[in-house]
Amino acid sequence: MSEPLLEVADLRIRFHTRRGVASVVNGVTWSVRPGETVAIVGESGSGKSVSTLAILGLVPQPPGEVSGSVRFEGRELVGASDADLRRMRGNDIAMVFQDPMTSLNPVLTVGRQITEALELHLGLRGDAARRRAAELLDQVGIPSPDRRLDSYPHQMSGGMRQRVMIAIALACDPKVLIADEPTTALDVTIQAQIVELIDGLQAERGMGVVWITHDLGVVAGLADRVLVMYGGQVVEEAPVSRLYASPAHPYTQGLLAALPVLGEHRDELQTIAGLPPDPSDLPPGCLFWPRCPKRLDARCQTERPVLRPAGPDHRVATFYDAGSEVASGA
Amino acid sequence: MGAVAVSRQQRWLAFLRVVVANRLAAAGLVVIVLLALAAIFGEFLAPYPPSDLDVTSRLQPPSGAHPFGTDELGRDVLSRVIVGARVSVQVAAIAVGISLVAGVLTGLVAGYYGGRVDTVLMRLMDVLFAFPAILLAIAILAVLGPGLTNAMIAIGVVFTPIFARITRASVLSVREEVYVRAARSLGASDARLIALHVLPNVLAPVIVQTSISLAFAILNEAALSFLGLGVQPPRPSWGRMLFEGRGFVRQAWWMAVFPGAAIFVTVLSFNVLGDALRDALDPRQKSAIEARGGGGPA
Amino acid sequence: MAPEPGDELLRVEDLRVHFPAGGRALGKGRDVVRAVDGVSLSVRRGETLGLVGESGSGKTTTGLALLRLVEPTSGRVWFDGTDVTALRRRDLRAFRRRVGMVFQDPFASLNPRRSVGASVAEPMEIHGLHREGRDRRVAELFEMVGLDPALRRRYPHEFSGGQRQRIGIARALAAEPDFLVLDEPIASLDVSIQAQVVNLLRSLQRELGLTYLFIAHDLAAVQHISDRIAVLYLGVVMESGARDAVVGEPQHPYTRSLVSAVPIPDPERERRRERIVLVGDVPSPLDPPSGCNFRTRCPDVFAPCGTVEPLLQDTPNGNLAACHLHGVVGREVPRSHHPDSTQVAEAEGRVG
Repeated sequence: MSEPLLEVADLRIRFHTRRGVASVVNGVTWSVRPGETVAIVGESGSGKSVSTLAILGLVPQPPGEVSGSVRFEGRELVGASDADLRRMRGNDIAMVFQDPMTSLNPVLTVGRQITEALELHLGLRGDAARRRAAELLDQVGIPSPDRRLDSYPHQMSGGMRQRVMIAIALACDPKVLIADEPTTALDVTIQAQIVELIDGLQAERGMGVVWITHDLGVVAGLADRVLVMYGGQVVEEAPVSRLYASPAHPYTQGLLAALPVLGEHRDELQTIAGLPPDPSDLPPGCLFWPRCPKRLDARCQTERPVLRPAGPDHRVATFYDAGSEVASGA
Repeated sequence: MGAVAVSRQQRWLAFLRVVVANRLAAAGLVVIVLLALAAIFGEFLAPYPPSDLDVTSRLQPPSGAHPFGTDELGRDVLSRVIVGARVSVQVAAIAVGISLVAGVLTGLVAGYYGGRVDTVLMRLMDVLFAFPAILLAIAILAVLGPGLTNAMIAIGVVFTPIFARITRASVLSVREEVYVRAARSLGASDARLIALHVLPNVLAPVIVQTSISLAFAILNEAALSFLGLGVQPPRPSWGRMLFEGRGFVRQAWWMAVFPGAAIFVTVLSFNVLGDALRDALDPRQKSAIEARGGGGPA
Repeated sequence: MAPEPGDELLRVEDLRVHFPAGGRALGKGRDVVRAVDGVSLSVRRGETLGLVGESGSGKTTTGLALLRLVEPTSGRVWFDGTDVTALRRRDLRAFRRRVGMVFQDPFASLNPRRSVGASVAEPMEIHGLHREGRDRRVAELFEMVGLDPALRRRYPHEFSGGQRQRIGIARALAAEPDFLVLDEPIASLDVSIQAQVVNLLRSLQRELGLTYLFIAHDLAAVQHISDRIAVLYLGVVMESGARDAVVGEPQHPYTRSLVSAVPIPDPERERRRERIVLVGDVPSPLDPPSGCNFRTRCPDVFAPCGTVEPLLQDTPNGNLAACHLHGVVGREVPRSHHPDSTQVAEAEGRVG
């Protein structure tokens, strides 16, 4: 197996607020290899987005406080200088954001925004930059790219704008692409186009892709490995087929049971009672304990479970043992 | 109704908390309270009757007996500044009251109904807005004749367009809010929608503008009185005193400087307080930030 | 458990809502946005009709037009035998008592300056209901939607999205309506919270005998809650029918591609299944294609699609579909609007 491109180890992020310290990310470890797609799944407040912002040094410090390690091809990024990080952003690691409406500058043409990235990182100017920009638009499937370079963002649909964002992200041939809910704001038929596009580009270029999403449905079709986050922790990590076939964490099980599935009719959706934990007032034991349908003894309430093996390439942070279910008759 | 009362209390508490936390705003509040006291109890607080002539002590510089000195007729400047506060406060309050009611109503109607109503009302406001404020006030006084009441009306008219504009701008955005649509879906009438759902949500910028306009109204009254169009002698007002003192600036600087300083401090206080109000009137955002902590862009 | 097949409560006939494009009052002869362009629906008492569509399909506008929150340009809306489009102001208020609406954004749909209890009590104030013991009734409604009644004195910003949506539902129920228009009620909630709200809606429907129009873009959620489904595209109903028939055997190419685009949370099935990825974007409602609205993206487009506007017609499995594949039925487009051949071929090029 090839060496990991990007390795995150024991990443922790806290924010100092007026109400005290909010622990938003609490010890997250993962890595991504060339050609691999890792999906990070979580609901709002799970820390999935903040943890990837920290990779690029985009968490404002203060009020934020980042510790742990993020290594790109062996180089440490936590604590790296602004200049080093800036060189890294867009160049080695690129990002695509959720909202294609607000992540493009409305007063610049699309062409100008792509050539800006080319100028910044590759020193391309003038006609050369424009030719390259048109190539990129073509690669992301925008028809008549030459004409489109002179369009303004408001003249394009949401799907088109997301394609432009992807073109900008690809401008410098990044080795890792971080896609933060890139399809959430789009319609399903457009969503399918974008998933297919990123899939194809990845196969072509052998990029590592980190796909952040709340949607377990989208993940099933595109990821190699899945990390489930809850309360700023990775609670389960598994190859995609294993995760859906035998989820080991009660939270993952709950999420999958809560999802309506097209073509299957469930009379009642299973729910997860209660609300996610407050990051400035985390329970001392398992973060999921207050909502957990499988919670056991006092141990869950006082001790925080860490990731442990639960099968081939499968790790889970819970004291609950799915295998013992039948035996104990729970 | 109990809930509403609680909320009002809470909002005042929030306002006071912001004011106390902000030293400058606290100072502003103190000045305005003193000003209000002077306006109400002026005669009792003043060391001398403000219109008493004392020919023996004309143009006295500030001293123990006359802390702000005396004017060319021997009247005590401190007493006149204290009593003059009443005219300034009265003019400011009534003039701004007139423009507040007229402007907010115009803005509400124009913004809520839109279309031709909006066009007609707002073009009218634009016409008023196009004149320099003081020139328009002078023109109105030229028609109505000089005097305190007419000065208040004139200033009130001059200040109406700004309130109309601010209100309309807020109404345009609040009108589209889902909660207004939700209330309409429940069968609420226009009057109810405007009074309960639109008005309370457009008040924040209007209240801030009120504090700013109060300051400007005091300045305008001073200017009009300075030009002899406002309050008539011998009643003291700060603007009038400035007007009278300007001829003696070389011999008796205190005649103009103290009323001028009173205007300056008052205007500044209203402005500072207006800023604090702006902060206090958005309790939502503050508590939202607190509640979500560092949730980050999830 | 299938609900009793009740009689018809709501009937929508050829509803159209056109807006002038851009600012208003800038002269005549301006472009028109055809947000809703001929929608016909029928909802029986006690059932849930799911109205699915992507952005720009006109689903929300349709919901608003039913309550006359936007004025229909033409067409009729019959509610329990009365023509809603002909109601005068006073009767309109009485009608709105019988129909509640729940909005998408739970953060925007509550007045931030009123306590949530006051918001829930508002319909009763408006219609003069429960003059005595209104507060008691508010507490009851809170319990009904699974919230602690003690919370009713608080303000909206103190609640989470899911809780606010419950409050929105309590408000919609306060005047004891028969019919609820649910406009994307779960779209902005987290998955685990979505399930809570969907289950609540279903149990309320059973308890109170409510009729729902459930508007959403998420076909999986719509399928879960609906008895029948109507699929909207660019202001026109493309297909309608029983839930399982629409999802299981779609008769319109658009429904087929929509069904195939919905991700399935199962990697094995997801990998095996065949996906129809549509090309291009939804055309602008300012300038919809001639003939069939879907023809610019349709994989099965053929000659009559550009010249004849398809009407809903019966299909073998009982669904209604507006598609010429089931026989060319519809209104001929006037000559001047016939597309030239390049327009049909260059389906990709249409960008809104």
